[in-house]
Amino acid sequence: MEVTIEQVRVLSELQGLKLPEEDLNNVALRLSTWLTAMEQIEAEMGLQMNDVDPIPPVFPREEF
Amino acid sequence: MSDPSQELYYLSASQQARLIKAREISPVDLMKASLERIEKFDATLRAWITVHAEQSLEQARKAETEIVAGKYRGPLHGLPFGVKDQMHALGFPTTLGSRVLDDDEMTSPYDATVIRKLSEAGAILIGKQNLHEFGKGGTMKFPYGQPRNPWNPGYDASSSSTGSGIAPAAGQCSFAVGEDTGGSIRGPASCNGVVGLRPTFGRVSRYGGVMAAYTSDTFGPLARSVEDVAAIMEVMAGHDPNDPLSSPRPVPRYTQSLGGNLSGMKLAVVREIAYVDGIHAEVRKGFEAAVEVLRGQGAVIEEISLPWAKWAVPLQLLSADADVASWFLANYLRDRYDRFDPGTRTRLAAASLIPASVYNRAMRARRLVRAQMLDAMRRYDALITPTNITPPRLIEDTREKIEDRGEVVSRLIVRRIAHYPFSLSNVPAISVPAGFSEKGLPLALQIAGRPFGEATIFHVGHVYQQATDWHNQHPELEKTLNTAAQTDA
Repeated sequence: MEVTIEQVRVLSELQGLKLPEEDLNNVALRLSTWLTAMEQIEAEMGLQMNDVDPIPPVFPREEF
Repeated sequence: MSDPSQELYYLSASQQARLIKAREISPVDLMKASLERIEKFDATLRAWITVHAEQSLEQARKAETEIVAGKYRGPLHGLPFGVKDQMHALGFPTTLGSRVLDDDEMTSPYDATVIRKLSEAGAILIGKQNLHEFGKGGTMKFPYGQPRNPWNPGYDASSSSTGSGIAPAAGQCSFAVGEDTGGSIRGPASCNGVVGLRPTFGRVSRYGGVMAAYTSDTFGPLARSVEDVAAIMEVMAGHDPNDPLSSPRPVPRYTQSLGGNLSGMKLAVVREIAYVDGIHAEVRKGFEAAVEVLRGQGAVIEEISLPWAKWAVPLQLLSADADVASWFLANYLRDRYDRFDPGTRTRLAAASLIPASVYNRAMRARRLVRAQMLDAMRRYDALITPTNITPPRLIEDTREKIEDRGEVVSRLIVRRIAHYPFSLSNVPAISVPAGFSEKGLPLALQIAGRPFGEATIFHVGHVYQQATDWHNQHPELEKTLNTAAQTDA
């Protein structure tokens, strides 16, 4: 997924964050990379992801 | 020339403790030696942000008086230590390595639980150590000075508990306490040639820490031997009513798990990490040598595949970074954006834009990646990998300058691939010195265990250290810093 500089500008402003021009490309590149990775993860694991709850492993309960 | 490993400041904390207990040295001797190392070398190394020398000496005198009076508190009594400046300590400012806070916002309101516990055990807090801004990694310009690798100051000392790796490596303290969300203890341990532990999440209280990745943040020790780290964890670990996510499990006597060999143990090399594309040939060679040492100590070692481990970096960033960004969006990011380092603020800004729907899916995927990891842990006593896939790099090569997608992948993902699978899984992982690159920079072995399996990875790491001498090699700072100065001139 490619996030454009303009999309970054608008989305940031929606949450009250005004980014300087010199940072927009950097932020767009980072976000594009993570969202692209998520698309690949969905393609590989998406069906199984439907079957688990998004519980953070903050209090390990395994048998170990 | 004297053997550097026999200098008081380079003895392991356990060796120093034995000398103190036997009254062969005084805590005052040790404190003076540590403070002299800071005074002499920290203008270059920049491991420390705040040091209270007089107060530390006074506490060392008090420890000496107690010990002479027969009130020996245990193996940390009289040992000088430092902490990453991401946790509160009364009387010390909490700078977080940032220019974002005003001076009056840095006042520590109380002692972090780990500092209170270590102090009660008799350890003496010298000061607060340098770090990447807010412990996030990627800092371009350090407000409190550029931290440098004691083995060669032109090279990186890793992130983000940077000073906490440098200081014990440089003999400036007996041990340090760092914080590891993604790899911030193990990276500095590896690059500086010391031992560093990321404990199981919940094993050590996070109370008093200033961090917001609530699913992944951990405090852990860095020191010059596995035995040291085991002894420190006996004090640091345990339930804390102030941290509702700390575990009520009893704390084992970790030091009693040390000794013997590895007969009957099964270890696994994780293929996707140990042989990942981009791994440096010297790291691979050093790792394979370490595997042979472990095999020689009786371990059965097999190779396994964890195909989903490759997703650990984006998943951690899509979830833990989003948690952090949500905190900063409510605090400072909107109104003090330009006071953040560019590396921190762009990372936080990007993470603040991750949609909640993506965050939810990432958290689901984390459970699957973790389940695959734990399934391997059921079949093996521990998993092993190199701690870093490259030797320490030149400082200018480590800055997260992002100008195209290729740089995002190479600078942000590949360098974290050895750390994040274990962070995301919230299992304990320890980095142990395991050789040197051709340029004389440290390499390291990572050993990861089952949840709350610290005793097992201490055992493996200690056996490795008994069979090798890497942890007894220390930088000769007079030589390394002088050589660098001549090179710069």
